[in-house]
Parts: sequence; structure tokens; C-alpha cells
Amino acid sequence: MTRFTPPILGRRTLLSVGAGLGAGLALSQLTACAGPTGAAGPGTISLGLNRSLVSLDNKLNQFEAAVTVQRAVRQALTSIDQNLRPQLVLADRFELDEASGSWTVRLRDDVHYSDDTPVTVEDVATALRYYGEVNGSFIVGLFPEMPTVEPVDDRTFRLHTQRPVAVLDYLMANIHITPAAANEPVELSSGVGSGPYVVTRANGGTGEYELARNDRYWGPAPSLRNVRVRFVPEESSRVVGLRSGEIDVIDSISPDSADQLDGMRGVRIQRSPGTRINQLFFNFRKPRGHPLADPAVREALTYAIDGRALIDNVLTGSAQQAEGVVPVALEGAARTGAFTYDPRQARQRLDALGVRDLAVKIIWETGEFAADTFIMEAVQEMLSDVGVRSTLQQFEPGGDILQWRQGRRGDWDVLGNGFGNPTGLALTSLQGMYAGTPEREETRDTYQGFVYPEVAGLISDATAEADRDARNLLLTDVQQRIWDLWPCLWAFVPDAVLAHRTRMTDPALKPINSYDLASVALEG
Amino acid sequence: MVRYLARRLGQSLLTIFLTVSTVFVLVRLAPGDPATSYAGPNATTEDLARIREQFGLDDSVFAQYLIFLRDLFTGDLGTSYSFHAPAFDVVMDRLPYTTTLAISAIALTTVVAVPLGVWMARRADTNREIGANIVTIAGQSMPDFWSGVMLLTAFAVLIPVLPSSGFTTWGGLVLPTITVAILQMALISRLVRREMAGALASPYITVARSRGVSERALTWRYGLRNSAIPVLTALGTRFAALLNGVVVVEVVFGWPGVGSLVVRALETRDYPLIQATVLVTAALAILVQLLIDLAYPLLDPRVRLGKAA
Repeated sequence: MTRFTPPILGRRTLLSVGAGLGAGLALSQLTACAGPTGAAGPGTISLGLNRSLVSLDNKLNQFEAAVTVQRAVRQALTSIDQNLRPQLVLADRFELDEASGSWTVRLRDDVHYSDDTPVTVEDVATALRYYGEVNGSFIVGLFPEMPTVEPVDDRTFRLHTQRPVAVLDYLMANIHITPAAANEPVELSSGVGSGPYVVTRANGGTGEYELARNDRYWGPAPSLRNVRVRFVPEESSRVVGLRSGEIDVIDSISPDSADQLDGMRGVRIQRSPGTRINQLFFNFRKPRGHPLADPAVREALTYAIDGRALIDNVLTGSAQQAEGVVPVALEGAARTGAFTYDPRQARQRLDALGVRDLAVKIIWETGEFAADTFIMEAVQEMLSDVGVRSTLQQFEPGGDILQWRQGRRGDWDVLGNGFGNPTGLALTSLQGMYAGTPEREETRDTYQGFVYPEVAGLISDATAEADRDARNLLLTDVQQRIWDLWPCLWAFVPDAVLAHRTRMTDPALKPINSYDLASVALEG
Repeated sequence: MVRYLARRLGQSLLTIFLTVSTVFVLVRLAPGDPATSYAGPNATTEDLARIREQFGLDDSVFAQYLIFLRDLFTGDLGTSYSFHAPAFDVVMDRLPYTTTLAISAIALTTVVAVPLGVWMARRADTNREIGANIVTIAGQSMPDFWSGVMLLTAFAVLIPVLPSSGFTTWGGLVLPTITVAILQMALISRLVRREMAGALASPYITVARSRGVSERALTWRYGLRNSAIPVLTALGTRFAALLNGVVVVEVVFGWPGVGSLVVRALETRDYPLIQATVLVTAALAILVQLLIDLAYPLLDPRVRLGKAA
């Protein structure tokens, strides 16, 4: 027989206490994460980002939409405008001394942070130093070398580099200035800036931020009172959010979503020629004697690809075939040629070169560009039509594609890869892709093994060339040389695409896939 | 009772320790390099080496494990590579969203599934019960991404009365809760129906009925109370599972919960974040199981904790 021991407290009491505690816990959790507000109210817009904004600093992370928000809080000495030219922001003077190769910069006399403290030369020096000290910074890779600061007076300073960097006014648009005392060689999650907005609520874990108008802003007051930033990873959710009016702006949208939203009442689409190039890049680490080591074979293969069909049918017209080795919208870019579809010529050229029974392996990482898998499958079919066998190998994000790219895990022939450009300069893309040297190749740090010292030399000369016309001449020459090496089986430049509710004004999307938040207003 | 609690606490700590240790080793055996994810595709070999050194990734796995244990005992779960913030803080930023969704889904499940199961048991083998059965089987068969998208289309697009994503308004909780609860309601109502049907056919119910006890009391006081333990166990288990995150629902509704955080941490090989998430969710799941065990004697006085049956 089971012995019954009466509990100290009655069961009903304990159950009631338990229920009360449960309800209290539930309520506290709800209160913790739900704001009291509803949909974006008057004077407020809501942005739906495709990637989580982990901080409002860009020392490590910089993707396009992030720049829009980061620059609303923290500003740089310059910014890149819609025509991809540098404009002065915190500086009112930014001049190159052609003789010495140094830049003289003067801070505006009225610039200050949201706490009313002035922007100082020391802030700039500290920012540059800390950007350079962060491991794995994307921004530092844009600079041929990080400049150092020599103060001249309390507002004026010189920027020095060992070799002249003639485009420093462009590059400095990516260095956000923070008070020196609050800056650190890590990505900052708090602190003040000099921008038109201040952060009133931040949750880096969920990627949610609330910005309010900076009442002490030194420039023209922004029209919007508040901006709400949300991270909505799934594109279909962002599209639904925009359609229902919960979200006012979504960017970096795929061709499918743009098609879906085009012409919808209350929604407007903005497009701008992009600065990112997506390539099917040949492996330049092939041994001498391998068919793909011969530019003529690479050129022959390009005739197999029906780029127009890929643009029209797979990318639904949201991209352009590349007409050069970098996007033509970039400052200093040159039109160096075009991809031509002629499968008969492809086969004839391959035959004439003695290339028979060629097999290629194509690798890429999922999500590298829109419709990546469809494009690769179509390319496989097109190659098959000219008698070239191909195998596809797709890598998931977080996998070891870098090891493959460097040739440490296995051999491959064509890589699906995208190369973004936040500076608006052709030089930045050329430097990142085509300035490989034998020394860098020793550690496999060149762009898929592309090592042509004469090309690297010309790019270096262009970097130091102060005269814009002379620089662009050098750049045109080097781009033609690169094109003639046929580095890509095919390449295309996707448009920057943004969709927004018509209750707000057009946000003037820049080719670098960013816009000035302070210039946005609500209609009516 | 105290000895029982102490023993369960010891078991729980051991379970958490073993879980976290297993995850620690497994994530390091998977392909991929956190340094690459951290620095991006254009990082140089030198950059990667510096990052590996910064995060101690160039040490042996055993050495990393010892450091992890040392930090764990001081309450430091490391810094997330992708969020550049303490991994524990990142998890705690997301946890309220997950617990809110789990609590609301289980509450809705309980409120709907228990009466439905009782109703089905009382009408066993009638046409109405067969109809209800078809509905619950349908609920059990519907993938949550499908039901989520359907609800989203209906109530956020066609009839835009509820938010489609996030938790910026209270209305934002409705669609994710229903999506999560559909499957749970189907499972729990069928369980309640089975347990109640058995209980209502028991001799003590027949005796009570012959003594004139009302059908209402027979069902709710006698029948349900005797069926409560398996139902509570099932509810608790489902609740604990929900605390680990409901990835698909979180993705469909842009819900910033722990599930999508784990996916992101795995994609970026963010070891500290993976470990912190596993530690927190495992601890919560174990706590829920412990609370359920402690609730048994409250529901059934014949149950005595710490004694064999």
C-alpha cells in the first residue's frame, strides 16, 4: 500500500503559486522584448535589412545597406555621391600636394558630435590608427597603405603615405570619425557620432536599432524624426513587409522580388547601375601546357556562353553583361570589349587550337550572386553544346571554398565569384583583383592566381598618379591588357535595386547601393 | 526531497557539461574556418593567421578545450566572432523572443488541445470525432513553413490585419504563435483523447457514475486528473523543444529568436556563440524537465519523488 505523506503546502496553493510565477515570467519576457509602439508612425520610417547590423561601426563589417545606417550616425571626412565622385563632409578642404604626394585636409569649423564636442584632428588620427589595428578589416584592404596624420593647426592636418595615393579623398569616405577618447581598435557598439541621427535604442543581437533626429546636428536638419532599422533575413518576408506597409525600404533585392513589386500600388522601385562585378573567373594557377593556361582557349570558351539569354531569362533584365574588367560605372573604368555568343565559333576555335574533349570544373558558394545555381546550370548546358564537359560543385556558406580557391583542397577551372566596390573607383577593383605579385602568390593570396607583374606595376603607377586624366589613361591601358588575357568565361554587373513605399520620397540610390538617410522625407 | 533535488541538480550539471563538451568537439571537426568567415573572402594568409592567433584557434583542440573550461567556470563564454560582443549577451538578447514564442504557443496549445482532446474522448467513434480526427491529422501533417506562409499570405497580405514579421507590435506574436501551435495542438489533442478515453473506460469512473457523480465532474475532476501526468510530460517536452528555437518559423516571420541565431552561428563557424547557445538552451530545457518532475506529486499524490514506484 502506498503511504501518503501530506505536503507542507497544499497542492492547490502550490499550483496557484506556480501559475502566478509562470504568468509573471511570461509577462516580464513579453515586456522585455516588445516595444509599446505599433507600425511606423508619423515622421518615422522603417528599414528592413537583409543582413544583421551588428554595430554602427564599420571597422570590420561593411555591407551596402549598413553604410546607409552607419553614415547616418557616424560621418567621414568625405562621402561618395551619386556620380561616384567624392564630396566633402567633415572637411572643407581636401587637397593633394602633387610635389610631396601628401594631402592637406581642413576640418569644417562648425562640425561637432551629438554631444556638442568638436571633431578634432586627434579624432581623425586615432580613427586611422585603430582601423589599421583591427585584424581582418575589409576597409583596410581598400587602402594601398594606411595614411598617417601630421597636425598643422587645430583644424588642419596632412595625410602622409610612403607612396602617393592619389585617390585618398575617395578612400577616406570609408573612415568613420569618432571622438578619440571613445574610440578603440575594435568595432564599437556604442558612442556618439557627428551624423544627422543619434541611436536611441540598439540591440546588436537581433539587429534592431532606433535612430532619432540629432537636434544638435551641425548640418541641415533631416526631415524624418525617427528611423527604425530591422533585420529581416528572409527576402520573401521583407517583400511582404513592404507590401503591407510595415517596412518602408528594402534593398539588395533579387530580380524575382523586383519583378513581383514592380508596378504594385504604393511601392516604387529604384535601380542604379551597380559597382559590383560577378564573374565566372578562370583559374590562373593552371600549369603551363594546360588548355586553360592559354588565353586563346579561354577566349574561345567565352563564345559558348549566351550572356544575353542569361541576363534576360535568368536575371530578368536586372543586370548588364560586363563590357570591361570592372563595372563601367566606376570612376576610371574603360569599355574594353564585349562577350559574344557564337557557339560555332567557339567549337571552331577550340578545334583550331587542338583542344578536344575538354572538361572543366566550376565551383561557387551558395548565394554568391542572385540566381547562382540557375546560372551555373545554364552555363553547363551551354558548354555542353560546344562539346565541353563540365561538373558543378557548390559550397555552402561557412564551408571551405577559400581553401579550394587557393588550390589547397582540390583543382578547379572556373570560379563563380562577386567583387564589390564601395569606393566608386575602378582602381580599387583593379587593385583587389589584378594587382597580384609573385610574392603574394607564394602564400596563394592573389586573386585566383592572376599574377602579371606588368599589370600590377601599371596599377601601382596609376595609384600614385595625381593627374586625373593621366591616371585614367594608365587605367584604360591596364584594363585593356587584362581584358586581352580573357580572365572570365563570362561576367555581369547587377543593378543596385531598392524598393520603397511611395509615402516617402525617393532615397536617391547611389551605384554603391547606399543612400543618404538624411535626404529622405515623407510625402505630403 | 532535498536529496532528490540535489541528485537531480548534479545530474543536470553533468548533462549540460557533457552536451557542451560534445558540441565543443563536434563543431571543430566540421569543415570550415572561423577565421575565413570572420575576415571575408579577400583576407590574406597573414590576416587569417593573425585572426587565428587572436581567437586562440591555432592552439590544439585540447588546449582550446582547457581554456574554454577555465573561462566557463569564471562565467566567460567568450566573444562572438560575428557579433563582436560577449556570446552570452548575444544569446540573452535573443532569448526573450524565443521564450515568449514558446510560452504563447504552449499556452495556446493547452487552451485548445486539452478541451479538444476531452471532447474527442467523450465522443469517441462518432462522426464528429472522426471529423475532428481528420482535422488533427491534417494539422500534424502540415509542415510549419507551409502553414506559416499560408497564414502570412492570408492575414498579412490578402487581409492585412496582422504584422508579417518581427515583434514590433503585440500583433506580431499572433501568426508565429498559431504556426507553432498548429502541430503542437494536433499532437497534444490526440494524446489527451487517448488518455481520456482510457480513463473514462476505467472501473473507478463506472463506480463513480453509478454513485451519481455528474458527467462534468467525472470528466474534469476524475478523468482529466488521472490523465494529467502524460499530458503534462508531453507539454513540457514540447515546451523544452521550443526553447531551442523554431528555425523555420523564425525565418518565415523574421522572428529574432535563438533558432535562427544558431543557424547563423553555424554558418559563420562562430564557436563561442554556438557553445553559448547550446549551454543556455540545454540549461533551460533541463530546468523545464525538472519543474515538470516536481509538478508530478502536485497532480497525483500517489507519486513520491525519489522513490521507486
